[in-house]
Amino acid sequence: MARTKFPVEVLTPDGEVFSDEIEMLSTRTAMGSIGVLANHAPLLATLDPCELRLFTGDGDPVKFAQGEGYLQVIANQALVLVEEAIDPSDLDTSDLDSKLSEAQDRVESSEEDTEERRRAERDVRRWEAFKEVAGGS
Amino acid sequence: MPSQKDVKDRISSVRNVHQITRAMEMVAAARLRKAQKRIEALRPYAEAIRKMTRRAVGAAESIPNLPILEEHDSIDRVGILLVTGDRGLAGPFNSQIVRAGTRRGREVESDGPSVVWYASGKRGASTLGFRGLEVAASFSGFTDRPQYSDARDIAQTLIAAYTDGNIDRLEIFYNGFVSALNQEVRHETLLPLQQAQLLDGGDDDADDEDGGDEDATEDAEGHDQGRSLWIYEPDPEEILKRLAPDFVEISIYRALLESTASEHGARMTAMRSASDNASELLDDLQLEANRQRQADITQELLEIVAGAEALR
Repeated sequence: MARTKFPVEVLTPDGEVFSDEIEMLSTRTAMGSIGVLANHAPLLATLDPCELRLFTGDGDPVKFAQGEGYLQVIANQALVLVEEAIDPSDLDTSDLDSKLSEAQDRVESSEEDTEERRRAERDVRRWEAFKEVAGGS
Repeated sequence: MPSQKDVKDRISSVRNVHQITRAMEMVAAARLRKAQKRIEALRPYAEAIRKMTRRAVGAAESIPNLPILEEHDSIDRVGILLVTGDRGLAGPFNSQIVRAGTRRGREVESDGPSVVWYASGKRGASTLGFRGLEVAASFSGFTDRPQYSDARDIAQTLIAAYTDGNIDRLEIFYNGFVSALNQEVRHETLLPLQQAQLLDGGDDDADDEDGGDEDATEDAEGHDQGRSLWIYEPDPEEILKRLAPDFVEISIYRALLESTASEHGARMTAMRSASDNASELLDDLQLEANRQRQADITQELLEIVAGAEALR
């Protein structure tokens, strides 16, 4: 059965990457995975790097590798604000590998409980998530 | 007096230079248009982040104590970030930033604190190095087309330096894009982040020209249903902790984009005047070549006439 559709907009610092009516949005917040259907209660959440899936209703969902960001649902409209939203087919696994190992080196070399360390750990999480997205497509 | 051949050689070399500068001018013009579009593309995102922050601030019981909002007790080290390009041949684009930055550096040092230098763009890093100043961190390789991740790298390095106490204040110098002909040096203080900036966005494109209607619906929703019906994942305070550094990232990203647009604008202008000069020089040289050729012909005629005279 076709589900009710609702408008979704995906914005990045480089402009809009998606704007259409969809049936379901699936992503991961800081608290865990979340699926948003039409008529969701107002929501404000922080997003972690993962695969963003937009189920348009026909065929495969539209997928993006999403960086850190925010999800806001107001008046049955969803707004996804992310630092990066990359088409999985544009991801370069070898590039991600080198970024990941570079970030891991920084985790090793930085001291415990510094901002430097936290930052490196965030980078590791992001590149790992992107690698997973690239591998799954 | 140069021979005809010398003049011809010069003409062909000036013509080559002219072709190169013309090509560079056109490339810069095309890139400038793209760079301008990217500045435009950032606005809706920055605007949305600003609105979201207002909502989170409204919902939060208190504004959390964030290290990047706190002023340090004593200012011992001031970070100065110079945003330049990777390449030269762009008129005063790079030099005016370095000049303004080092002047500010001397000012800061005369008050006591030492300066920690940061540079974006190879030019900034190499000029600082040449002047014997130590660069704490430099970022390059992207100034033709900066990505958000480049801005994030810079922002997070600097935020880490600030929260870990390696710098007590951060100032930035970059070329603000006014028009292709005109770039102005902008000087801003990025850290500590002002609370006021967080609360009203502090963005210069904060004027709500496009967001009027949206605001109305959002507010209606918010008031009718009450704040308690909103779901926050995680708490608004936690969300704010994530949002605050984003302001620094967006500020730096905007500075990078403006700087890139300025660089292409400055290069276009510089290359246009180089092309104009080359055309002028070509005209002069062509005249010179013609005059030289005429002189040679006259000389030959005179010799023939003189020879004929002598035989009579």
